[in-house]
Amino acid sequence: MATSQGNDSDMDCSDNEDCYDDYNDYYNDDNSDGEQLDMSKTDPEYFDYKCLSEEEVERLLNETVESLSNRLFISPSLAKVLLHSHEWNSNEVICKYKENPQQTLIAAKIDPPTPSKSIIVTSTYLSCPVCITTLNIDKFIKLNCTHMFCKDCWTTHFEVQIAQGISTAISCMAKDCVVLAPEDFVLKHLQHKTSIREKYQHFTFRDYVKSHPELRFCPGPNCSVIICSREIKAKRVVCDKCNTGFCFKCGCDYHAPTDCQVIKKWLTKCADDSETANYISAHTKDCPKCHICIEKNGGCNHMQCSNCKHDFCWMCLGDWKSHGSEYYECSRYRENPNIAHESAHAQAREALKKYLHYYERWENHSKSLKLEEQTLEKLRTRINKKVMSGLGTWIDWQYLFTAANLLAKCRYTLQYTYPFAYYMDTGPRKELFEYQQAQLEAEIENLSWKVERAETTDRGDLENQMDIAEKRRTTLLKDFLDV
Amino acid sequence: MANIAAQRIKREFKEVIKSEEVAKCAIKLELVDDNYTELRGEIAGPPDTAYEGGNFLLEIKVPETYPFNPPKVRFMTRIWHPNISSVTGAICLDILKDQWAAAMTLRTVLLSLQALLSAAEPDDPQDAVVARQYKENLEMFKLTARHWTNVYAGGPNVNPECDEKIKRLIDMGIEEHQARVALSSYNWDLERATEQLFS
Repeated sequence: MATSQGNDSDMDCSDNEDCYDDYNDYYNDDNSDGEQLDMSKTDPEYFDYKCLSEEEVERLLNETVESLSNRLFISPSLAKVLLHSHEWNSNEVICKYKENPQQTLIAAKIDPPTPSKSIIVTSTYLSCPVCITTLNIDKFIKLNCTHMFCKDCWTTHFEVQIAQGISTAISCMAKDCVVLAPEDFVLKHLQHKTSIREKYQHFTFRDYVKSHPELRFCPGPNCSVIICSREIKAKRVVCDKCNTGFCFKCGCDYHAPTDCQVIKKWLTKCADDSETANYISAHTKDCPKCHICIEKNGGCNHMQCSNCKHDFCWMCLGDWKSHGSEYYECSRYRENPNIAHESAHAQAREALKKYLHYYERWENHSKSLKLEEQTLEKLRTRINKKVMSGLGTWIDWQYLFTAANLLAKCRYTLQYTYPFAYYMDTGPRKELFEYQQAQLEAEIENLSWKVERAETTDRGDLENQMDIAEKRRTTLLKDFLDV
Repeated sequence: MANIAAQRIKREFKEVIKSEEVAKCAIKLELVDDNYTELRGEIAGPPDTAYEGGNFLLEIKVPETYPFNPPKVRFMTRIWHPNISSVTGAICLDILKDQWAAAMTLRTVLLSLQALLSAAEPDDPQDAVVARQYKENLEMFKLTARHWTNVYAGGPNVNPECDEKIKRLIDMGIEEHQARVALSSYNWDLERATEQLFS
């Protein structure tokens, strides 16, 4: 599939010298430093990112926590809470904390919003408000909100919350109290509960990564890789472990040249029934008597409602009986009184036509991409046959895979140009876009035709075609990929 | 854990019995079984609302993890309210979900439910039909809620017009509650309710 960038490079360049520098550049996003500067200028899809393991990310987060805790002379646990509530932006935390430590601690839900009344404990025994057991005062513990509960109740509270998947958001047990229990406080109460401790640490880690703008869990099934990038852009990242490709910004399938909001809108539109409603409006009318929705599925304008058996004319919605034999009279009368009504229908029909135009092409390219696996399989069989009958060696035919992969990549981009065009305002920019889109489409069809019929001798021609298609794709992205 | 639950319920039960709200007949609490896992609550419809004069029964189930998890509460008396299902009596209230705190008690739950009857949250609905009526036609909502309070919760406000329309549907062979639901859902438009019932 088009997202398997990592694979391509393995396939093309592992141990043969036949691959071409242009494509080599393209497929190796993580090239040496010398080429990087150049890449970011020439390749509109270039994106600098790293694939990290959970341990590496843990180390990275711990370093941030440690440096902040040293800077502000606070406990690492407190530093973690502050970072978590500020999207891991150390500088922002330092600024805010230096300016107003009290307010920062309230905002991070470490301190209560209003200073709690200091409770003067007169006796050595207290009743825990949760388990209502009277215990010695030393069995009680509190957060900064000073709500006292016995240690056993804290432990049970944490167990119940963690069992529900709650970790960084566990709050005090008092009514209407928003103060959160920081990591060291929770762990202190789970000393002898190893499995719950581990669960808790797993959940907090997940929360930390999710709140960190520069980190993304790879969405691949059962994949533990975390992608890290300094820039938060809608660019393609590919997991180096499971090969899943996705948009770094929104986490969905990569969607250039369309941006994150537009693709979301488009996918929602395709998924929900808003277009069904349009279809109904364009192809149906309500029965003038019982108001049930009727679809006209034949040519005859004499309609009989299947619900109430009312006979009426599809054109003017009048009673069929009053029509008599003079059918054409209705089309004459129809124009004036019904013009507003008709134009609403016409508008809906037009909107439906426009949507279908883009949707059909979007859907078609999406289906073509799914067939890509089969195409590759067919290629493999064909090459095997050629090699067996002495027409070149396996290595001589490798370029066809490169071509097939490039074809998939171009198709992928082409698919995502349709939602982009659908939401574009009419004007010279759209005209330019549609011109480039048409050019890309034509070159892709040429390439597709050539890949399917390639003989060894066509090689130069095919590589020329690959170059053209890729140039068209890059040009379109350069002009319209707005990130 | 279960031990804490029983201990707590025992204490809370006493707390409610002795409270001033019980003295004013605003709330009531009864035990259903001896091991404190199920109780029956009752709240009076707050004054100056459509529920005034009605008494609403509540089913309260105490989970084993109580008070670390909230009690499960449901209206047994049928009620017309945006945050309470008119079909099942299920309640949409934050303190019965994620805003529960272990230090809260059954008394606070009963009082919060009473407060919910005075101040509905139509933007966070449990019953979409009721919520829409509340937002689009508040007078119609009040009329319907008052009628339901009268019929199901013993409220004093009889509405002969509603009763008459229901009777018309009963005459057509519709069951009484079904007729009431259809009319309530269609703003007491007899024609549309009939249409819906027979389609």
